Amino acid sequence: MKKDVFVALSFLIAFLFVSYAVTVRDVLGIAENPLRPLGEFYLSHAFAHEGLTSHSPEVVTAIVWNYRGFDTLFETFVFFLAIMGALSVLRLTREQGMEVRALEAREPHRHMDTITRTTTKLVVVMIVSISASIALHGHLTPGGGFQAGSAMAVATLLLFAAFSKFTLERQGLTLRHTISAYALGLAIILATVVAPVLLYGGKVLEIDLLPGETGLFNLDVGEYTAVTFGFLTVFLALGVPEWIFKLVLRREMK
Amino acid sequence: MIELHLIILAIVVSFGFVFSYLAMKERDLLKALALSSVQSTFFALGFYILAAPDIVLAYLAIAVGAYTALVILAINKTERYEVGE
Repeated sequence: MKKDVFVALSFLIAFLFVSYAVTVRDVLGIAENPLRPLGEFYLSHAFAHEGLTSHSPEVVTAIVWNYRGFDTLFETFVFFLAIMGALSVLRLTREQGMEVRALEAREPHRHMDTITRTTTKLVVVMIVSISASIALHGHLTPGGGFQAGSAMAVATLLLFAAFSKFTLERQGLTLRHTISAYALGLAIILATVVAPVLLYGGKVLEIDLLPGETGLFNLDVGEYTAVTFGFLTVFLALGVPEWIFKLVLRREMK
Repeated sequence: MIELHLIILAIVVSFGFVFSYLAMKERDLLKALALSSVQSTFFALGFYILAAPDIVLAYLAIAVGAYTALVILAINKTERYEVGE
Protein backbone atom coordinates (compact mmCIF):
# COMPACT_ATOMS: atom_id res chain seq x y z
CA MET A 1 0.00 0.00 0.00
CA LYS A 2 2.84 2.35 0.95
CA LYS A 3 4.57 1.53 -2.34
CA ASP A 4 1.42 2.53 -4.24
CA VAL A 5 1.40 5.95 -2.63
CA PHE A 6 5.06 6.46 -3.53
CA VAL A 7 4.47 5.41 -7.14
CA ALA A 8 1.42 7.66 -7.48
CA LEU A 9 3.19 10.64 -5.91
CA SER A 10 6.28 10.25 -8.08
CA PHE A 11 4.08 10.05 -11.20
CA LEU A 12 2.24 13.22 -10.19
CA ILE A 13 5.45 15.09 -9.37
CA ALA A 14 7.02 14.08 -12.69
CA PHE A 15 3.87 15.13 -14.53
CA LEU A 16 3.73 18.52 -12.76
CA PHE A 17 7.44 19.06 -13.49
CA VAL A 18 7.00 18.30 -17.20
CA SER A 19 3.91 20.49 -17.53
CA TYR A 20 5.65 23.35 -15.69
CA ALA A 21 8.66 23.04 -17.99
CA VAL A 22 6.55 22.92 -21.15
CA THR A 23 4.03 25.65 -20.35
CA VAL A 24 5.85 28.18 -18.14
CA ARG A 25 9.51 27.74 -19.08
CA ASP A 26 8.69 26.79 -22.69
CA VAL A 27 11.53 24.28 -23.11
CA LEU A 28 10.02 22.86 -26.32
CA GLY A 29 9.42 26.28 -27.85
CA ILE A 30 5.77 25.63 -28.58
CA ALA A 31 4.18 28.29 -26.37
CA GLU A 32 4.02 30.75 -29.27
CA ASN A 33 2.16 28.11 -31.29
CA PRO A 34 3.13 29.33 -34.74
CA LEU A 35 1.21 28.08 -37.76
CA ARG A 36 3.51 26.07 -40.01
CA PRO A 37 3.35 26.46 -43.81
CA LEU A 38 1.71 23.04 -44.28
CA GLY A 39 -1.05 23.91 -41.79
CA GLU A 40 -1.53 27.24 -43.46
CA PHE A 41 -1.91 25.50 -46.83
CA TYR A 42 -4.61 23.18 -45.48
CA LEU A 43 -6.51 25.97 -43.73
CA SER A 44 -6.53 28.22 -46.76
CA HIS A 45 -7.20 25.52 -49.36
CA ALA A 46 -9.68 23.14 -47.69
CA PHE A 47 -12.65 25.42 -48.31
CA ALA A 48 -11.86 27.53 -51.34
CA HIS A 49 -13.32 27.89 -54.79
CA GLU A 50 -10.17 27.33 -56.79
CA GLY A 51 -6.91 25.47 -56.56
CA LEU A 52 -6.38 22.22 -54.70
CA THR A 53 -9.58 22.46 -52.69
CA SER A 54 -11.76 19.72 -51.28
CA HIS A 55 -14.83 21.97 -50.81
CA SER A 56 -15.07 21.13 -47.12
CA PRO A 57 -15.10 23.59 -44.22
CA GLU A 58 -14.15 20.63 -41.99
CA VAL A 59 -10.40 20.64 -42.44
CA VAL A 60 -9.85 17.42 -40.47
CA THR A 61 -12.10 15.39 -42.77
CA ALA A 62 -10.53 17.08 -45.77
CA ILE A 63 -7.07 16.01 -44.60
CA VAL A 64 -8.18 12.52 -43.58
CA TRP A 65 -9.94 11.62 -46.82
CA ASN A 66 -8.43 13.97 -49.38
CA TYR A 67 -4.99 15.34 -48.67
CA ARG A 68 -3.98 12.17 -46.78
CA GLY A 69 -6.50 9.88 -48.47
CA PHE A 70 -4.11 6.99 -48.99
CA ASP A 71 -3.42 6.71 -45.26
CA THR A 72 -7.12 6.36 -44.52
CA LEU A 73 -7.68 3.96 -47.41
CA PHE A 74 -4.96 1.65 -46.10
CA GLU A 75 -6.27 2.00 -42.53
CA THR A 76 -9.59 0.73 -43.86
CA PHE A 77 -7.74 -2.22 -45.38
CA VAL A 78 -5.99 -2.90 -42.06
CA PHE A 79 -9.38 -2.93 -40.33
CA PHE A 80 -10.58 -5.33 -43.03
CA LEU A 81 -7.63 -7.64 -42.41
CA ALA A 82 -8.26 -7.57 -38.64
CA ILE A 83 -11.90 -8.55 -39.13
CA MET A 84 -10.99 -11.27 -41.62
CA GLY A 85 -8.43 -12.57 -39.13
CA ALA A 86 -11.02 -12.70 -36.35
CA LEU A 87 -13.49 -14.44 -38.64
CA SER A 88 -10.98 -17.03 -39.82
CA VAL A 89 -9.98 -17.84 -36.23
CA LEU A 90 -13.62 -18.14 -35.15
CA ARG A 91 -14.87 -19.76 -38.35
CA LEU A 92 -17.69 -22.31 -38.42
CA THR A 93 -19.01 -24.36 -41.31
CA ARG A 94 -22.66 -24.08 -42.30
CA GLU A 95 -23.65 -27.20 -40.34
CA GLN A 96 -21.71 -26.05 -37.32
CA GLY A 97 -23.38 -22.64 -37.52
CA MET A 98 -26.80 -24.28 -37.54
CA GLU A 99 -25.78 -26.45 -34.60
CA VAL A 100 -24.62 -23.39 -32.66
CA ARG A 101 -27.91 -21.65 -33.36
CA ALA A 102 -29.89 -24.68 -32.18
CA LEU A 103 -27.85 -24.86 -28.96
CA GLU A 104 -28.22 -21.11 -28.36
CA ALA A 105 -31.98 -21.35 -28.82
CA ARG A 106 -32.10 -23.99 -26.10
CA GLU A 107 -30.16 -21.78 -23.65
CA PRO A 108 -32.39 -19.98 -21.13
CA HIS A 109 -31.96 -16.46 -22.49
CA ARG A 110 -32.30 -13.70 -19.98
CA HIS A 111 -33.19 -10.13 -20.69
CA MET A 112 -33.25 -7.14 -18.41
CA ASP A 113 -36.34 -5.67 -16.74
CA THR A 114 -38.77 -3.23 -18.35
CA ILE A 115 -37.10 -0.05 -17.05
CA THR A 116 -33.73 -0.96 -18.57
CA ARG A 117 -35.25 -2.10 -21.84
CA THR A 118 -37.37 1.05 -22.31
CA THR A 119 -34.45 3.34 -21.43
CA THR A 120 -32.20 1.43 -23.79
CA LYS A 121 -34.69 1.82 -26.61
CA LEU A 122 -34.81 5.61 -26.08
CA VAL A 123 -31.03 5.94 -25.77
CA VAL A 124 -30.44 3.77 -28.84
CA VAL A 125 -32.71 5.99 -30.94
CA MET A 126 -30.71 9.03 -29.78
CA ILE A 127 -27.32 7.42 -30.44
CA VAL A 128 -28.38 6.24 -33.89
CA SER A 129 -29.61 9.71 -34.90
CA ILE A 130 -26.45 11.36 -33.53
CA SER A 131 -24.23 8.88 -35.35
CA ALA A 132 -26.15 9.48 -38.58
CA SER A 133 -25.66 13.22 -38.17
CA ILE A 134 -21.95 12.75 -37.43
CA ALA A 135 -21.55 10.67 -40.59
CA LEU A 136 -23.76 12.62 -42.99
CA HIS A 137 -22.42 15.98 -41.79
CA GLY A 138 -18.88 14.65 -41.64
CA HIS A 139 -17.71 17.06 -44.33
CA LEU A 140 -19.27 20.09 -42.57
CA THR A 141 -18.91 19.57 -38.82
CA PRO A 142 -16.44 17.65 -36.64
CA GLY A 143 -16.77 13.94 -37.12
CA GLY A 144 -16.73 11.54 -40.01
CA GLY A 145 -17.30 7.98 -41.01
CA PHE A 146 -15.12 6.25 -38.44
CA GLN A 147 -16.44 8.19 -35.45
CA ALA A 148 -20.05 7.72 -36.51
CA GLY A 149 -19.52 4.03 -37.21
CA SER A 150 -18.06 3.37 -33.78
CA ALA A 151 -20.93 5.29 -32.11
CA MET A 152 -23.40 3.18 -34.08
CA ALA A 153 -21.60 -0.01 -33.01
CA VAL A 154 -21.99 1.12 -29.38
CA ALA A 155 -25.74 1.57 -29.90
CA THR A 156 -26.02 -2.01 -31.12
CA LEU A 157 -23.93 -3.18 -28.17
CA LEU A 158 -26.48 -1.60 -25.82
CA LEU A 159 -29.16 -3.62 -27.59
CA PHE A 160 -27.03 -6.74 -27.13
CA ALA A 161 -26.78 -6.07 -23.41
CA ALA A 162 -30.40 -5.12 -22.76
CA PHE A 163 -32.02 -7.76 -24.93
CA SER A 164 -29.88 -10.66 -26.02
CA LYS A 165 -27.78 -11.72 -28.97
CA PHE A 166 -30.34 -14.43 -29.72
CA THR A 167 -33.25 -11.95 -29.91
CA LEU A 168 -31.33 -9.71 -32.31
CA GLU A 169 -30.31 -12.66 -34.46
CA ARG A 170 -33.93 -13.75 -34.67
CA GLN A 171 -34.79 -10.22 -35.85
CA GLY A 172 -32.41 -10.67 -38.78
CA LEU A 173 -29.07 -9.35 -37.51
CA THR A 174 -27.13 -12.48 -38.43
CA LEU A 175 -23.48 -12.85 -39.29
CA ARG A 176 -24.29 -13.27 -42.99
CA HIS A 177 -26.19 -9.99 -43.09
CA THR A 178 -23.53 -8.01 -41.23
CA ILE A 179 -20.78 -9.33 -43.49
CA SER A 180 -22.86 -8.40 -46.57
CA ALA A 181 -23.43 -4.88 -45.23
CA TYR A 182 -19.71 -4.59 -44.43
CA ALA A 183 -18.90 -5.56 -48.01
CA LEU A 184 -21.38 -2.95 -49.21
CA GLY A 185 -19.57 -0.24 -47.21
CA LEU A 186 -16.20 -1.30 -48.62
CA ALA A 187 -17.73 -1.34 -52.12
CA ILE A 188 -18.94 2.26 -51.69
CA ILE A 189 -15.43 3.32 -50.64
CA LEU A 190 -13.74 1.48 -53.51
CA ALA A 191 -16.26 2.77 -56.04
CA THR A 192 -15.70 6.35 -54.89
CA VAL A 193 -11.96 5.88 -55.15
CA VAL A 194 -11.85 4.03 -58.47
CA ALA A 195 -14.87 5.32 -60.42
CA PRO A 196 -13.60 8.88 -61.07
CA VAL A 197 -10.31 7.49 -62.36
CA LEU A 198 -12.21 5.40 -64.91
CA LEU A 199 -14.65 8.21 -65.73
CA TYR A 200 -12.45 11.29 -65.93
CA GLY A 201 -8.95 9.86 -65.93
CA GLY A 202 -6.43 11.25 -63.48
CA LYS A 203 -4.87 9.64 -60.45
CA VAL A 204 -6.35 7.58 -57.62
CA LEU A 205 -7.63 9.85 -54.81
CA GLU A 206 -6.57 12.98 -56.66
CA ILE A 207 -7.81 16.17 -55.03
CA ASP A 208 -10.96 17.74 -56.50
CA LEU A 209 -11.69 14.94 -58.96
CA LEU A 210 -15.38 14.58 -58.11
CA PRO A 211 -17.70 17.58 -58.36
CA GLY A 212 -18.14 19.47 -55.10
CA GLU A 213 -18.03 17.58 -51.85
CA THR A 214 -19.49 14.36 -53.33
CA GLY A 215 -16.23 12.52 -52.81
CA LEU A 216 -15.95 13.30 -49.10
CA PHE A 217 -19.64 12.57 -48.51
CA ASN A 218 -19.51 9.19 -50.27
CA LEU A 219 -16.34 8.15 -48.49
CA ASP A 220 -17.84 9.14 -45.12
CA VAL A 221 -21.00 7.14 -45.79
CA GLY A 222 -18.98 4.14 -46.97
CA GLU A 223 -16.73 4.25 -43.93
CA TYR A 224 -19.79 4.63 -41.67
CA THR A 225 -21.35 1.45 -43.06
CA ALA A 226 -18.06 -0.44 -43.10
CA VAL A 227 -17.05 0.42 -39.52
CA THR A 228 -20.53 -0.18 -38.05
CA PHE A 229 -20.95 -3.59 -39.60
CA GLY A 230 -17.29 -4.51 -39.22
CA PHE A 231 -17.53 -4.06 -35.45
CA LEU A 232 -20.88 -5.89 -35.41
CA THR A 233 -19.36 -8.82 -37.28
CA VAL A 234 -16.64 -9.16 -34.66
CA PHE A 235 -19.13 -8.86 -31.80
CA LEU A 236 -21.42 -11.48 -33.31
CA ALA A 237 -18.50 -13.85 -33.92
CA LEU A 238 -17.14 -13.37 -30.40
CA GLY A 239 -20.57 -13.45 -28.77
CA VAL A 240 -21.05 -17.22 -29.15
CA PRO A 241 -20.90 -18.68 -25.61
CA GLU A 242 -17.60 -20.42 -24.98
CA TRP A 243 -19.00 -23.81 -23.98
CA ILE A 244 -21.10 -24.06 -27.15
CA PHE A 245 -18.09 -23.14 -29.27
CA LYS A 246 -15.92 -25.73 -27.53
CA LEU A 247 -18.62 -28.40 -27.86
CA VAL A 248 -18.91 -27.84 -31.61
CA LEU A 249 -15.14 -27.75 -32.12
CA ARG A 250 -14.61 -30.95 -30.09
CA ARG A 251 -17.12 -32.71 -32.27
CA GLU A 252 -15.07 -31.60 -35.27
CA MET A 253 -11.99 -33.30 -33.74
CA LYS A 254 -13.84 -36.62 -33.55
CA MET B 1 1.03 33.19 -19.12
CA ILE B 2 -0.68 30.24 -17.48
CA GLU B 3 -4.25 30.05 -18.63
CA LEU B 4 -7.19 28.46 -16.90
CA HIS B 5 -7.80 25.79 -19.54
CA LEU B 6 -4.22 24.54 -19.17
CA ILE B 7 -4.74 24.10 -15.41
CA ILE B 8 -7.98 22.22 -16.04
CA LEU B 9 -6.14 20.09 -18.59
CA ALA B 10 -3.42 19.27 -16.05
CA ILE B 11 -6.00 18.29 -13.42
CA VAL B 12 -8.01 16.14 -15.85
CA VAL B 13 -4.95 14.35 -17.21
CA SER B 14 -3.57 13.67 -13.71
CA PHE B 15 -6.92 12.11 -12.77
CA GLY B 16 -6.53 10.00 -15.91
CA PHE B 17 -3.06 8.91 -14.74
CA VAL B 18 -4.40 7.97 -11.30
CA PHE B 19 -7.16 5.85 -12.79
CA SER B 20 -4.83 4.11 -15.24
CA TYR B 21 -2.52 3.24 -12.32
CA LEU B 22 -5.48 1.86 -10.35
CA ALA B 23 -6.55 -0.15 -13.41
CA MET B 24 -3.07 -1.68 -13.66
CA LYS B 25 -3.06 -2.65 -9.98
CA GLU B 26 -6.55 -4.13 -9.96
CA ARG B 27 -6.77 -7.95 -9.85
CA ASP B 28 -10.46 -8.17 -10.74
CA LEU B 29 -10.43 -7.73 -14.51
CA LEU B 30 -13.97 -6.37 -14.73
CA LYS B 31 -13.20 -3.69 -12.14
CA ALA B 32 -9.97 -2.89 -13.98
CA LEU B 33 -12.00 -2.46 -17.15
CA ALA B 34 -14.38 -0.03 -15.41
CA LEU B 35 -11.41 1.96 -14.06
CA SER B 36 -9.87 2.03 -17.52
CA SER B 37 -13.03 3.46 -19.04
CA VAL B 38 -13.10 6.18 -16.36
CA GLN B 39 -9.52 6.98 -17.36
CA SER B 40 -10.59 7.15 -21.03
CA THR B 41 -13.36 9.57 -20.12
CA PHE B 42 -10.82 11.87 -18.46
CA PHE B 43 -8.52 11.67 -21.46
CA ALA B 44 -11.48 12.43 -23.75
CA LEU B 45 -12.12 15.57 -21.67
CA GLY B 46 -8.45 16.41 -22.14
CA PHE B 47 -8.78 16.06 -25.91
CA TYR B 48 -11.82 18.32 -25.82
CA ILE B 49 -9.85 20.99 -23.95
CA LEU B 50 -7.09 20.63 -26.55
CA ALA B 51 -9.77 21.50 -29.20
CA ALA B 52 -9.80 18.14 -30.98
CA PRO B 53 -13.52 17.27 -31.24
CA ASP B 54 -12.91 14.69 -33.98
CA ILE B 55 -10.67 12.69 -31.66
CA VAL B 56 -13.18 13.02 -28.79
CA LEU B 57 -15.98 11.50 -30.86
CA ALA B 58 -13.88 8.51 -31.91
CA TYR B 59 -12.10 8.09 -28.58
CA LEU B 60 -15.24 8.05 -26.42
CA ALA B 61 -17.05 5.57 -28.63
CA ILE B 62 -14.04 3.27 -28.97
CA ALA B 63 -12.49 3.44 -25.51
CA VAL B 64 -15.67 3.44 -23.43
CA GLY B 65 -17.94 1.45 -25.71
CA ALA B 66 -16.34 -0.89 -28.19
CA TYR B 67 -13.08 -1.63 -26.35
CA THR B 68 -14.92 -2.35 -23.08
CA ALA B 69 -17.35 -4.67 -24.83
CA LEU B 70 -14.59 -6.54 -26.64
CA VAL B 71 -12.63 -7.05 -23.41
CA ILE B 72 -15.80 -8.16 -21.57
CA LEU B 73 -16.35 -10.74 -24.31
CA ALA B 74 -12.71 -11.82 -23.99
CA ILE B 75 -12.97 -12.07 -20.17
CA ASN B 76 -16.13 -14.09 -20.67
CA LYS B 77 -14.02 -16.65 -22.50
CA THR B 78 -11.31 -16.84 -19.81
CA GLU B 79 -11.44 -16.03 -16.09
CA ARG B 80 -12.45 -12.98 -14.18
CA TYR B 81 -9.62 -12.85 -11.63
CA GLU B 82 -5.99 -12.35 -12.40
CA VAL B 83 -3.90 -14.87 -10.43
CA GLY B 84 -0.21 -15.62 -10.19
CA GLU B 85 3.04 -14.51 -8.58
